[in-house]
Amino acid sequence: MEKQLRIALAGNPNSGKTTLFNKLTGSNQFVGNWPGVTVEKKEGRLIVDKNVILTDLPGIYSLSPYTLEEVVARNYLIEEKPDAILNIVDATNLERNLYLTTQLTELGIPVVIALNMMDLVRKAGDSINVKELSRQLGCRIVEISALKGDGVQDAARAAIEAAKNGKTIPQHSFSGPVEHALAHIEEVTVHNLPEEQQRWYAIKIFERDEKVLKQLNVPEDVRAHIEQDIQAAEKELDDDAESIITNERYVYISQMLKGIYKKKGKGELSISDKIDRIVTNRVLALPIFVVVMFLVYALSMGKSIADGGISIGTFLTDWTNDVIGGAVLTDGSRALLESWGVAPWLVGLISDGILAGVGAVLGFVPQMLVLFLMLCLLEDCGYMARIAFIMDRIFRRFGLSGKSFIPMLVGTGCGIPGVMASRTIENERDRRMTIMTTTFMPCGAKMPIVGLIAGALFGGSTWVATSAYFIGIAAIVISGIMLKKTKMFAGDPAPFVMELPPYHVPAWGNVLRGTWERGWSFIKRAGTVIVVSSIVIWFLTSFGSVNGKFGMVDELYEDKSLVTDEYVTTVADRMHIPEDEVEPMDDSLLARIAQPVSIVFKPLGFGDWKPTAATVTGLVAKEEVVANFGIMYAYDDKDGEEELEENGNQIWNRVAEDFNTISGGHGRLAAYAFMIFNLLCAPCFAAIGAIKREMNSAKWTWFAIGYQCCFAWVIAFIVWQLGRAFAGAVNAVGLVFALAALALLLWQLFKPYKEAQRLTVQ
Amino acid sequence: MMPLIMADPGEENIVRRVGGSPEMKKHLEDLGFTAGSNVTVMNTIGGNLIVKVRESRIAISKEMAAKIMV
Repeated sequence: MEKQLRIALAGNPNSGKTTLFNKLTGSNQFVGNWPGVTVEKKEGRLIVDKNVILTDLPGIYSLSPYTLEEVVARNYLIEEKPDAILNIVDATNLERNLYLTTQLTELGIPVVIALNMMDLVRKAGDSINVKELSRQLGCRIVEISALKGDGVQDAARAAIEAAKNGKTIPQHSFSGPVEHALAHIEEVTVHNLPEEQQRWYAIKIFERDEKVLKQLNVPEDVRAHIEQDIQAAEKELDDDAESIITNERYVYISQMLKGIYKKKGKGELSISDKIDRIVTNRVLALPIFVVVMFLVYALSMGKSIADGGISIGTFLTDWTNDVIGGAVLTDGSRALLESWGVAPWLVGLISDGILAGVGAVLGFVPQMLVLFLMLCLLEDCGYMARIAFIMDRIFRRFGLSGKSFIPMLVGTGCGIPGVMASRTIENERDRRMTIMTTTFMPCGAKMPIVGLIAGALFGGSTWVATSAYFIGIAAIVISGIMLKKTKMFAGDPAPFVMELPPYHVPAWGNVLRGTWERGWSFIKRAGTVIVVSSIVIWFLTSFGSVNGKFGMVDELYEDKSLVTDEYVTTVADRMHIPEDEVEPMDDSLLARIAQPVSIVFKPLGFGDWKPTAATVTGLVAKEEVVANFGIMYAYDDKDGEEELEENGNQIWNRVAEDFNTISGGHGRLAAYAFMIFNLLCAPCFAAIGAIKREMNSAKWTWFAIGYQCCFAWVIAFIVWQLGRAFAGAVNAVGLVFALAALALLLWQLFKPYKEAQRLTVQ
Repeated sequence: MMPLIMADPGEENIVRRVGGSPEMKKHLEDLGFTAGSNVTVMNTIGGNLIVKVRESRIAISKEMAAKIMV
């Protein structure tokens, strides 16, 4: 068998790299992560030769280790040594793109350039002497149009050829003092490395690249010796070593392009610039942004078209929930399994446990797909980068970056993709803070909780739902301000620097593929966690011990020899309920676990096992909170969930009654505290899983979850205690602690904050 | 020499010096903000800038723009 060749695809962000990768590999792609980091890794087999693997490197400007992407890309190139590099270069932005090329040619790996967007250059009346450029750079150039697909397969073939028997020798050189130092460095440190890599390493040592110095383990005395050379060059050229190299590369490129790149028009505003005049205008930017966001939200998650709104997403989600989720998955599977004569407990596990849980998440898929489609569209046409820029001003005030906005917007649909969207934020501090606060936004699954509380205790008032969003936003702002004053998040968000790609008509292939990729990873992430946790919760609610005998509680309760009158009395005592209300579920493992835990919620006004159990099961999926209320309050009805949706009033009354009993007559307040806690506390397991993946650290995951739970508890505590005091039922101890908590919160919010601490990148 | 935030929109200037933390400086230089390169402020919004450097449009915050001398 022929040796399998590996080609790396490298290029600047926004150079058409993704489009080219899709054109070259078609559907032969595998998406994963680069080892140890949450940067996406894509690989695929070339269409022109299935034996060649193309690795899509992250979009980078340079091989300096500024962003995670750059570190990943350069580690791959240096350590894995692919057989060739296919370097996509945007011809409309030649200088900046060739800056990366000059670095790639130093790696000792054959480089082939795919010169993209030449059609646009010609359209503008400019011309590039490609032959001469190829000669000056020392590597082959293939003109392509990634969008139209012109020449892309030729570029792939050229790269394969180069991989088999090509060689690229860097043609550019630096100024005298630098070359002198480089020669010295090569002589004393890198002479035992592979010859073709020596130059790259020497340049990095000259730049005092920490990572390379560490990797090569350069001895102290040698370092000191080299340092003299570097300092001599720095003194002569009056700049620091890194800047000297960067500068000379750019100078070399612009010198080279003088004879090669003939520019016709000059100084005119491009169409993209004209659009920016309006879209990022100081007056119009925000209104335009609000309209765009409203449209995105209204189309994906707003009022269904069936109810007179414009949302296709909600329409499809309703349909999925009613038809697939309810009728097909739960009822259909139950009927089918029963007709097969499957044991009742297994039917319960599969239909009520797994399929009902999966169905609940499945319901969100249409909304999510519509949302992803919109976001992909905004991203592909170039507006997304502007959003980050416009929002940065506002977000910076509370310690977040403009790039945090998108995760939060997505988070109003579902926290899982919201957390996942945080990976576009380069700065680790900003990313962590975004991950921690994104799930404060009320996601789609939390809205039924809001609906239940509003319906049961507030007569269906709409301000409850509105207040839920305000609570979410306020929680983000307050957390941002408080956290940025802690040692962990000290300093300001990284200064905002971001390239704004030119606007263009979206490439549908990219948009659809991007939508599907995000949607699929959402389904996978949510699906696996939900299946496992649904089984656990089903087990906890179905099993328990009755009068010393362990088994399914429903079955055990049919055995009258176990459920004696005396036993019922003890259960009623334990659960603090009247004897005639004792039911099998009171003996379930969940009730046993929830009862002692409910003490935690006593200071919040809802310290009873039912709201506690609902809150705990909310960890599986927030829909479970409402589903559980349905089951727990609809004793006489076998199908609690159905009942809640079709004849809500009956249960609403019971819920209201129960909250009133638990809270000693302040049902509304207790229910509101319950809602606040459930909105702000740890998200569902699937979202916690996403947090863990994106944090990439157990410590940070626990910190995030812990912070969310404590914050939720404290806010609900303050609301309940102060609210009760206003209502005239003061609990002295509670009030004192609530005021103290409030004072602490305000102190942390308004205490002056030392700007002096600077963020250090580790 | 003046910081980039004081430059008039639409007017072409030449970058003299880039300040800031070493990482930031390197990143800006990678993006094309090297001494001697042409830079034009295209748009301002609340002190933050969109600038044209080489052929790219780069959005930079006020704090960063204050450290680029033209």
